[in-house]
Amino acid sequence: MRILLDKFTKKFSDLTVIDEMDLEVRDGEMIALLGGSGCGKSTTLFSICGIHKVNGGRILFGDKDVTNVTSQERNVGVVFQSFALYPHLTVENNIGFPLKLRKESKAEIKRKVDEIAEMVHIEPLLQRRPGELSGGQQQRVALARALIRRPDVLLLDEPLANLDATLRLEMRSEIRRIQQETGITAVLVTHDQVEAMSMCDRIAIMDAGKIIQIAKPRDMYENPVSDYVAGFLGSPPIAFLTGQVQDGNFVEPSTGTKMPLSAEIAASQSGRQVKVGIRPEYFQPDGATKIAGTVSFMESQGRETLYNVTLPDGSILRSIQGVHDPVHIGDRVEWGVDSAEMMVFDMNGLRL
Amino acid sequence: MGNSKYLGLYLLAPAGVFVFLFFLAPVILTAVFGFTNMSTATGISGGSYVASQSSMLALRDRYGLDDISEQLTTVRYTIDEEGLAAALEAGADPATVNELGDTFLGQSYETRRDVERAIKTLNARPSSVRAIKAIAGQFERSVANTRYETEDEILGAIAEFGIELTETESAAIIDVTYTGWVFTTQNFKTMFSLPDTKKTMINTLFYVFTTLILFNVGFALVLAISTHYMDSGPAGFFRSVWLLPRITPPVLYVLMWKWLAWDSGFLSVMLEPLGFEPRNWMLDSPTNAWTFIILINGMVGASMGMLIFSSAIKAIPEALFHASEVDGATRRQQIWHIIMPQLRWPILFITSYQTLSLLTSFEYILLATDGGPGGATEVWALTTYLKALSNYGGALQYGYGAALSLVLVVIGITLSLIYLKVFNFKDLTAKPKIE
Repeated sequence: MRILLDKFTKKFSDLTVIDEMDLEVRDGEMIALLGGSGCGKSTTLFSICGIHKVNGGRILFGDKDVTNVTSQERNVGVVFQSFALYPHLTVENNIGFPLKLRKESKAEIKRKVDEIAEMVHIEPLLQRRPGELSGGQQQRVALARALIRRPDVLLLDEPLANLDATLRLEMRSEIRRIQQETGITAVLVTHDQVEAMSMCDRIAIMDAGKIIQIAKPRDMYENPVSDYVAGFLGSPPIAFLTGQVQDGNFVEPSTGTKMPLSAEIAASQSGRQVKVGIRPEYFQPDGATKIAGTVSFMESQGRETLYNVTLPDGSILRSIQGVHDPVHIGDRVEWGVDSAEMMVFDMNGLRL
Repeated sequence: MGNSKYLGLYLLAPAGVFVFLFFLAPVILTAVFGFTNMSTATGISGGSYVASQSSMLALRDRYGLDDISEQLTTVRYTIDEEGLAAALEAGADPATVNELGDTFLGQSYETRRDVERAIKTLNARPSSVRAIKAIAGQFERSVANTRYETEDEILGAIAEFGIELTETESAAIIDVTYTGWVFTTQNFKTMFSLPDTKKTMINTLFYVFTTLILFNVGFALVLAISTHYMDSGPAGFFRSVWLLPRITPPVLYVLMWKWLAWDSGFLSVMLEPLGFEPRNWMLDSPTNAWTFIILINGMVGASMGMLIFSSAIKAIPEALFHASEVDGATRRQQIWHIIMPQLRWPILFITSYQTLSLLTSFEYILLATDGGPGGATEVWALTTYLKALSNYGGALQYGYGAALSLVLVVIGITLSLIYLKVFNFKDLTAKPKIE
């Protein structure tokens, strides 16, 4: 079911956390609310499920205005960061709890619990209590509980934050699988760009209570609207250099390296200070525009190695390369930037 | 400290001493005293042997030794050194006394008249009849009403008196004449035979469980849950208000209740225009007295449960409330399914703690009704206090009081064990199965 936030505003006493946000989540779509802590993403989620009261604007599920509907009546499934399983109930009773509250018959509850348990692969655990489950198992139970009464929307609040690395990888694909199997409209709140990019159809990136950009993961990665978005997506992150536009080139001040710009930008920005963003994969030994610096940091990531190259004025470029001839910290290198893939921002951070 | 295994024991030893002195020893002593007949009459140290009127009565009733009792109470007159000295002391003429000693020393007479006759035969006899009677009086001898320090002394005195005793008779006499305390199960026999005991026990159970269920647990739960759903400001205010009775000195607190209920107090003044006779509302009827007693104790008792329950509810992760909300739980379902299961342990704690403290507390009852009207609100602990430490006649029955408190100790322990069973204590304190 479609979710629509229309000029949604949320205040905590005098502090406006979200100001007139517009957001549409399409039917069957999984969208990520991505942002650093305090950006308002969890507040938005809690307002969608009705735990927070809205201070302005509307929230619609399908065509139904649910702005003033209590969370009990809203028919949403929520997976909380801490999973919030009821410690005194067995897994079976945890999952069946929403149905029990609606006074469904025991046989009916049992049938539905078995069905959903099979989907999230926890059939053997039904008689255990949450305290006897691992993090990943608790996560599956929480998902099952959120899904059992076929909610209109599924809301996931940092669902992977409490899991260890391998489980996170596993649950990422599991949650996506279950979302696609059920075809439910889902909102994922996360601060982890990898989660957002790998699990969701679209990403809404938020900063200070506003949506900065909303796009498909690949589009957003390739065409960020600002340096904030560019910096948020990608691991290892993008590196920025500041310099002047001269004669159709970006001139790096400390080395004097000239990097060609597109004609359009070169014309409009001639003589101005700009910021260029260079992703690690576009700063390589065989790149076109050579720039010299000193290797100041190395991190082996197994198949690949991350290098930080410090330029004479202290600014840093990052490069990620397959393992090859040894380069050591302190070595002077001259690698090339693929200037066609360079992103140019004005000094306010907006993409040019 | 080569052996650190015992380090903990060494460190705890001083605490152990205090635990023994102030916790264990009193209970043991209570148990011991409960099996004695200690009272103001017996004293708490050892006693002596006196053939008093009551002990002679006991000798006849319990042992059927009527004739021995008769002989022991018989008065005789013997001219002895002691009597002579006493006569001199009392101001008799030394010449008379000396002659009496020379002539009749060792003589024994059945009646005072015989002694007087003997005195009259003396050359140095006093001229007045009164003086003769006074001297004769000094020689009155009887085993009865004389205090002997040891068994041997009293038996010796009886033998000297010329009464021959068998072994059983001696034992019987020792038994009835001993004035100190002895070990006995009489306290419990008395306790179970008195009709008041049953009434006091029913009063106690009524008092403890009504206060406990209505206020110490019930009302405390209502307060804790209702303040949980309030904003923190008003919630804090309400909790503080309910703490006030707890921090008011009990005497003042009860005095305010008494003032409320007096025949010229608030209730009487307010109700008089409505056609109710002014009266002491608290002591007007047993029902009224109980209502006040339970209110007085409940208002004080609810605050502790409220604090414990409130903090337990605070400890429930907020996410559980959110989760239950989106799962569709109404507030009532939330209380029942989320809050109450998390309060099992605090409720067990408050129930057992308050049962024990209510069982032994009587200060508010003592101050408010003193067990009245007509013993209607007398509870076990109050009876114990009155019997052992504040008897109207001044005869304090320490042994009986101790026996009464021993019953309370037993009831307390039994109830605690039942609670642990009912609330499945082992399950509650089980180690979490996940680290």
